[in-house]
Amino acid sequence: MSNRLLNRKQMVVDVIHPGQASIAKTVIREKLAKMYKAPADTIFVFGFKTAFGGGKTTGFGLIYDTLDFAKKFEPKYRLARHGLYERPKTTRKQRKERKNRMKKVRGTKKTKVGAAAAKK
Amino acid sequence: MEYISIMFMQGLSFLELKYHTLLSYLINLSHVVLRKVSGASIYNEPCIDRLVELRTVLERLRPIDKRLKYQIDKLVKTAVTGESSDASSFRANPDNMVSKLDEDADENEDEDAATEKKSVYVPPKLAPVRYDGDESAASRQEKLLERAKRRALSSAMVRELREEFLDAPTELGSRVDSGAGPSGPSKEDRERQEYEETYFTRLPETKDKRKKRKLPTIGSLANELTNFESDFRVLEGEVMPTKKRKSSKKPTGKKGKKGFKKRKSR
Repeated sequence: MSNRLLNRKQMVVDVIHPGQASIAKTVIREKLAKMYKAPADTIFVFGFKTAFGGGKTTGFGLIYDTLDFAKKFEPKYRLARHGLYERPKTTRKQRKERKNRMKKVRGTKKTKVGAAAAKK
Repeated sequence: MEYISIMFMQGLSFLELKYHTLLSYLINLSHVVLRKVSGASIYNEPCIDRLVELRTVLERLRPIDKRLKYQIDKLVKTAVTGESSDASSFRANPDNMVSKLDEDADENEDEDAATEKKSVYVPPKLAPVRYDGDESAASRQEKLLERAKRRALSSAMVRELREEFLDAPTELGSRVDSGAGPSGPSKEDRERQEYEETYFTRLPETKDKRKKRKLPTIGSLANELTNFESDFRVLEGEVMPTKKRKSSKKPTGKKGKKGFKKRKSR
């Protein structure tokens, strides 16, 4: 089904693999790329659940028109899985401490305080 | 009795009418009293008819009189005191607005109004119950019987017999999580699957689902074996299906989830 609002094709992916373990997402992406004639980097698959007893796995797949649309609409964690997004390495505690340090200062000194103290 | 002819230029004034009727009423009444006192009978007297007529007129005048009462009183007061130029004397008198009769009812109303204003309206917490009023007893029995028959047909015994006597290939027990029951996935499983597929999300596994996955269903197996008698009876004739008592019934008490009370359906 094509979702024109989000510029993508979205589908439920059923993988049948009797006698094998669950198939890797990269392999599934390549197969989908061949089926839909789309570049593999615009294809995002997720939510795979293997049925009891093995042999069948069901998941979801999205094929974006272009990579720009993918970067715009996909959630950050899925982009991170493909290496298109890097999370900031600062921990929550550090961010909060920085904010509290900035609260003590007024104006342009805020950036200096934040940058200087964060290096500690 | 002669009716006094009244000269009127702009129509009969309300007050004049009232006074004339009152006067006529009194005259007629005094005539009746005179006759009674002197021992004469008042049977079929025209006085009585006139009295009745005047009485009805007075009764009709009374509500209008009540409405005009305030204005008339004010005018009379100004005429007595002589201060007609002062317009502030005509201002509203809030003390007159409170009814002097029924004081208890008024107090209660005021209290209720006050409490209503303070608190927000909270709807009564009653759990919705199925409405069975339009269903006759016969149709209900029919439905119960039908349901029991359907359950009997898909019971373990019948399934085994089917496997034995029909030529269909044997289907092994597939997928425990979805497609668990003999007739495929249960209603909950179907709904969950539909939701997951439309919204492209995976719902997390609930606690009871996890428990169910861990425990094998040994307890239910024994019940299935022992309850087959009633199932077959239902399939044959018109025997009323007895209610199955759930062995593990949670003591919910009067209040269910979130403090909702359950009302009796009948």
